[in-house]
Amino acid sequence: MAGKILPVLKLATKVTIAGGALYVAYDSGLLGGSEQGSKVIGKAKAAFPPAVDEWVKYFGFELPAFPKIGFAPVEAWNSGVHSSISALSSGPTAVGDYTNQGLQYLKDLAK
Amino acid sequence: MAEEQGRKWDRCLADSAVKLATGLGVGIVFSVLFFKRRTWPVVFGLGVGLGMGYSNCQQDFRSPYLLHGHMVKEQ
Repeated sequence: MAGKILPVLKLATKVTIAGGALYVAYDSGLLGGSEQGSKVIGKAKAAFPPAVDEWVKYFGFELPAFPKIGFAPVEAWNSGVHSSISALSSGPTAVGDYTNQGLQYLKDLAK
Repeated sequence: MAEEQGRKWDRCLADSAVKLATGLGVGIVFSVLFFKRRTWPVVFGLGVGLGMGYSNCQQDFRSPYLLHGHMVKEQ
């Protein structure tokens, strides 16, 4: 009797855990539209430091201070693309200029 | 208008990242619980997440041009 119940109980537990994981994902808006999904990142970032503080207090040890990175890839991306493409487009002209300057210098040396 | 396009791209990438992570998480849960820690449920979850993100992005980019029709039933 007990031998037959145990596998069923195991399966029921697994299904509950899996279903719970899916429900949590659905409930926190992870599976919704674009707006919801991009807001979740903001919420997670805001909730992260208090959660870390709670855990540190619970375990009672000091974590080294998280270094504040002043560089945000999101903001730098556009200017990065802009500078790369400008450099590429003015590349051949610049190379031509430098080559001419170099040749001129060599000519001057040869005189 | 270019501003709106940029915002759409930002939303799209953020949302795709979230969906990918969710798919990975759910895939890992299912792999550990039901499929004896095989790799394929994880890959499947990643694929589902990527697909959902792609679909949302598509919907977002097409949004001003999508027309919604309504069926009016004869009374």
